[in-house]
Amino acid sequence: MKSLKFEYKLSLLYLLLGGLWIVFSDKVVNSISNDIDFLTEIQMYKGWFYVIVTTILFFLFTRNHLTKLRDTESELEHHKNHLEQMIHEKTIDLASKNEELFRKNEIINQKNSELQNTLIRLQDTQGHLLQSEKMASLGVLTAGVAHELNNPLNYIMGAYVGLHRHYEDKTFSEHDEQVGILIDALKVGVERSVSIVDGLNQFTRNSNSYNEDCKLHDIINNSINILQNQLSDNIIIDKQYADYDLIIKGNVGNLHQVFVNILNNSIQAISNSGTITIKTSPYDDHVCIEITDTGEGIEAEHLAKVADPFFTTKEPGKGTGLGLAITYNIIKKHNGTLEFQSEYGKGTSTKITLPI
Amino acid sequence: MSMLNKKKILYIDDEKINVQLFQINFSRNFEVFIGCSGKDGLLLLDNNLDIEVVVSDMKMPEMNGLEFIELAKEKYPDKRYYMLTGFDITDEIQDALNNKLILNCLKKPFNLKEIEKILNE
Repeated sequence: MKSLKFEYKLSLLYLLLGGLWIVFSDKVVNSISNDIDFLTEIQMYKGWFYVIVTTILFFLFTRNHLTKLRDTESELEHHKNHLEQMIHEKTIDLASKNEELFRKNEIINQKNSELQNTLIRLQDTQGHLLQSEKMASLGVLTAGVAHELNNPLNYIMGAYVGLHRHYEDKTFSEHDEQVGILIDALKVGVERSVSIVDGLNQFTRNSNSYNEDCKLHDIINNSINILQNQLSDNIIIDKQYADYDLIIKGNVGNLHQVFVNILNNSIQAISNSGTITIKTSPYDDHVCIEITDTGEGIEAEHLAKVADPFFTTKEPGKGTGLGLAITYNIIKKHNGTLEFQSEYGKGTSTKITLPI
Repeated sequence: MSMLNKKKILYIDDEKINVQLFQINFSRNFEVFIGCSGKDGLLLLDNNLDIEVVVSDMKMPEMNGLEFIELAKEKYPDKRYYMLTGFDITDEIQDALNNKLILNCLKKPFNLKEIEKILNE
């Protein structure tokens, strides 16, 4: 629009000046002289003058205009260059940012894999902890179980002594009733030894499967056997079992650990004499095991903390503080629940539910 | 050795097989009385005043071996009392040894010759 305006301006100015020059210069010249030759000569100079003036003006206008245009163009060029420069700089900038991001991403990935490793190590440690606690409680129990073996070994020894004597004296046939008793004692002794060793094996077996058939009554009975040595004669175990076998899917060794831990707590809670009642009940989709003791109970302020790792009120050496924490974890892995109810001075009731 | 010359001993254990074995094995050199509880033991002592030696298991329901021996010794302080157990010597057994309530704590599984020797002392 501007350049268009300029064209009009220039042309109009030229037209105007030309017109004015033609009209007025002729009038002026005519008023000065009537001589034709002189007038003709003047006409030529007039023409030259006109051409020169308009040329100068034309030059000035064009130059002025073109200078502006050139300035704009060079500015544009300059801007263009600057823009390119800017784009270049920004690109470099972006590249470095990108690189930084990439590096950060790498760091995040690295941290992530470190975390992953830590998690794996943590799970590993937890597994070890589980095993250690099992071994720690086993340490307490082994002494008892080892001595428990002395009873059936006593049968075997007694039977051997009796049979050996009859063998030396060749008196088997005279004392066939006695020989029968001795042979029976031998058999019972071996059977009992096997069952004690079996019980220990069940407790320590190290399987990761949670799909084993767990006969709960067998597991509880076996746990009681393992604890036999801890059981003083003044503690009565009252088994109120359901009429038929309660079988669930789970981990046999770990469930032994659960009942050994809970029963051991009940035994330790009874200072003189008392009763531990074990009641098992089947429901549609789960089984419930309630272990109630008439021990000293748990103080209200401690009740919420009993399953916390390393929480213990027992004397040093009597408990790791991990028993119930691990018990809780095992029950959770079986998708079951674990609840404690206790009245200080009256006793504690532990309720376990396990899905069938 | 005739029946009359044999030393009379009493053995108390709540496990039937143990008392049967004890009787079979020790009857050759002793006249053995057996019972399955402290209560049995006290009754047998009352009825057989010439029992010289009393041997008892430790772990028994209702009345354990030491509790039985304590009651028996109160009534018959001149008899000799022994413990026969498969377990370690606990604090209370050690106390009983120190107080001469029992003369010795014998181990299960039993060693016949050793026990016969001790009982004959």
